[in-house]
Amino acid sequence: MALKTLDIIARKLVERPAVLASERAAGAKVVGFQGYTLPEEVILALGLIPVRIGLGGSDRLVELGGRYISTKNCVYVRETVGLFADNTDPYIVNGDLFAFDATCLQAYRTAEVIQYYFNNGVIILGVPRNFYLPEAHTYFTAELSNFVGKLEAFSGVTLTPERLADAIKVYDDIRTEILAIYDYQAVLNPVISWEQVYDVIQAGFVLDRREYLDLLRALHAELRALQGEPVVGRHADEARLFISGSVIPPGDKKLITIIQEQGGRIVGDDLWTGLIPHLGVVIAEPTLEALAYAYLHRTPHGALPYLDLETDGRIKRLKSLIQHYQANGVVYHTLRYCDPYTFKAKETKDILEKFGVPLLELHTEYAGSDIEAIRTRIEAFIEMIKVKAELGEAA
Amino acid sequence: MNAIVSRRILGSSISDTPEYFRYPDEIRDRFVATDDIEFRDGSRVTATEIWDYLTTVGPVKFPNLYDLSSLYGNRLSQDVTLPTTLKHNYLLMTMHDRMTRARAQGHPIVFVQGGQSVDPYYAAGAIALRPASTGIWARRQREGLSRNQEELEGRADKQKAYNAISFEVCNSAGYEHIQEGTVPADMVAPFTALRCSDVSYGTEAHRHGPRAKEVKLLLVDYPLDHQKDKDWSIRYFADNLRRLTRNIDELTGRTTTEDDLAREIKLHNEGRRLSIELADLWWSADQPPTNGKDRRDLFQLGGMELHGDPVASLSILREARRVIEQRVKDRHLAKGVQKDAARLFVCGSCVFPNDYRTEEAGGIIVGNDNHWSDITTLVDESGEPYHELARAVLSYPYEQPLKDRARWTVEQIKKSRTDGVLFLYKWGCNTQSAIARLLVDEIKAQTGIHTIIIEDDMTRTQTEQLQNRVNAFIEMVS
Ligand code: SF4
Ligand code: SF4
Repeated sequence: MALKTLDIIARKLVERPAVLASERAAGAKVVGFQGYTLPEEVILALGLIPVRIGLGGSDRLVELGGRYISTKNCVYVRETVGLFADNTDPYIVNGDLFAFDATCLQAYRTAEVIQYYFNNGVIILGVPRNFYLPEAHTYFTAELSNFVGKLEAFSGVTLTPERLADAIKVYDDIRTEILAIYDYQAVLNPVISWEQVYDVIQAGFVLDRREYLDLLRALHAELRALQGEPVVGRHADEARLFISGSVIPPGDKKLITIIQEQGGRIVGDDLWTGLIPHLGVVIAEPTLEALAYAYLHRTPHGALPYLDLETDGRIKRLKSLIQHYQANGVVYHTLRYCDPYTFKAKETKDILEKFGVPLLELHTEYAGSDIEAIRTRIEAFIEMIKVKAELGEAA
Repeated sequence: MNAIVSRRILGSSISDTPEYFRYPDEIRDRFVATDDIEFRDGSRVTATEIWDYLTTVGPVKFPNLYDLSSLYGNRLSQDVTLPTTLKHNYLLMTMHDRMTRARAQGHPIVFVQGGQSVDPYYAAGAIALRPASTGIWARRQREGLSRNQEELEGRADKQKAYNAISFEVCNSAGYEHIQEGTVPADMVAPFTALRCSDVSYGTEAHRHGPRAKEVKLLLVDYPLDHQKDKDWSIRYFADNLRRLTRNIDELTGRTTTEDDLAREIKLHNEGRRLSIELADLWWSADQPPTNGKDRRDLFQLGGMELHGDPVASLSILREARRVIEQRVKDRHLAKGVQKDAARLFVCGSCVFPNDYRTEEAGGIIVGNDNHWSDITTLVDESGEPYHELARAVLSYPYEQPLKDRARWTVEQIKKSRTDGVLFLYKWGCNTQSAIARLLVDEIKAQTGIHTIIIEDDMTRTQTEQLQNRVNAFIEMVS
């Protein structure tokens, strides 16, 4: 059954580059950003247009980017640099300023490389690695305030509590809607797939945020009309897979396609290009202190080290999402040279094994050369999960 | 397994009968008249005792160190008239005994990583060891091994880290020694984000190891992006340093005061200053006064961490300062170095070409940026010590935005009269490799000097390829 709002979102995405160009012609400024701990709210609050940049899946752009940054960087950052070198992507072409954060040091280096070779205006937001400490909050608030100062100078607008409160409200509502919609893909007989929801989340990287919120509300209403309130449920013989690990940005469908071709059903993710940035963001008041606190206390990104296994928020969140979406297997996806997630692969596997959930680690790039190898491993993994599920049901 | 068999396993082209080096008796009298080494606990060792150890105990316990093959980049320097190289070797050979004794005396062992200073660790009564020293400690527990046997055992050790973490990442965090208990570290507490992100990930990896409950973990968080110019970054880092000493205090049961830190900074500043002076002297000489290996060891002593005893390192530095000054006056040309050797400067972290083979090929490495940037950064002794230390550490040139890092690197290149720059990085070293091209392009733009970027494989099985490229580069710049 076709969902009307999905068609509208697809159309808006096609129209977006032209809309952006005309908004810029009318004096608006676009801030392209990439980062994992970067409160987008401040960009919107200053009347700037936030666009989350970055694509995946293009070997050509990866190769191009690798000429500037090294071939030992993850393909995502190489492709990001490739986008700048190529300079045809509408979101790069239409960017007036680019903002990066230092959560992952490879993204931080990307900012340096882009600034040096392509002479783009770049600003950076420092991110503390001891993010859970009170002093890290103090530091990050000051860093955020410095970052906002640069954006204020760029936009010519001063950040007021009212402006910030308005922007926070937009994003809070977006987060609420995404979370509600996400449950619909995990019900027994869904009318929307995980892949479609994932695409909807990524549409939010570039669409006008207020318009995007309206579209999410419309989609939610449509889903509610068709299926009522969602109840997550599972068929006995289903291989319900959860995807964890490195980002899977727009343009990179390799893994998702293979899983589906092999009869696996994806029901959840904790990817930074998927659900996870929208979870657990509690902004107590419209101040930079509160914003800094909320972003530091989301689920930690893999690049932020946490030294106590028992209380690690990332692991806790992973387990609770697996349970909530009733997944019975995890595909842990690591991009080659993505150290933040590769370092954690073995440990995460051991932890989930104790939790009764098997984990398949797949180490991949954007090249097509490993497709067959991945297909074989996923096929075997799905088969194993189905057998396990049936046996469990029989028992 | 004997040496012959292990050489065959490694597929090396070297002859099957290892030749061993001995310190010649003719130099004994001159050497025993040189300075003692003084230690942190007030004890001393005389040059005579050192001589006896190096000529009777060392060859039996650690034959591998005396292997004469130039394929062995860490072999003992044969510049036997340089007394400090013998003393440095003595300290490395006695690492296991000395560290075991110091720990028993109540000094916790803290694992750190390269490119950072260690003043606060020692101020709190701990011993800070980075991967090189940790590895040396582990290796000095195995006696009677040939070089190939030792190398095979080292690889087997590393395999443990690959199995526990991943072979796809940089495994430099001493996991195999610390979690296996070979090196009884009490704490892993490096600075984050210095040089790379893998220091943090490597530290985190210890949380799931077999000794996870015994080894305290802590990260001294190093904020990035124009950090030296931001008050809030300095305050944050200073707070992290305070947390570090408080956590070490929990292990020792004592309280580290600001005076303790101030005293330690003074001591380490002396080491840093001596290293800078030594470098200026060395670079000012018409011809290299030592070989590349001895130069690197001497310059690095200013980091005050290599021997696990800053007072001992300082002893050697003081003496080295005098010896090098004399050699420069005498226009001494170091043994094994060609008079008109091509002078190379190495950028990048954690990998270095074989000095001996570089010299055989007509080059010499005259400087490097990593772990020199921290040594050249003095701490202001007049202010509040945590704040001043934080300010200094955040201003390490190696960690600055690219243009600033390049500016400092160019200064070092000019001072050392470099003919060519090598940027080396290890396979899997993302943060340094990311800016390799950028840095060399900027250096080239500022100096017009020849540059090359070389990647080394992680397991060091392709060192021959690395050296071949270095040698070809030497030909080009000569
Ligand atoms: S987290 Fe991984 S995928 Fe993301 S930028 Fe860093 S290395 Fe690349
Ligand atoms: S090799 Fe690179 S990644 Fe590994 S510790 Fe050194 S700088 Fe870090």
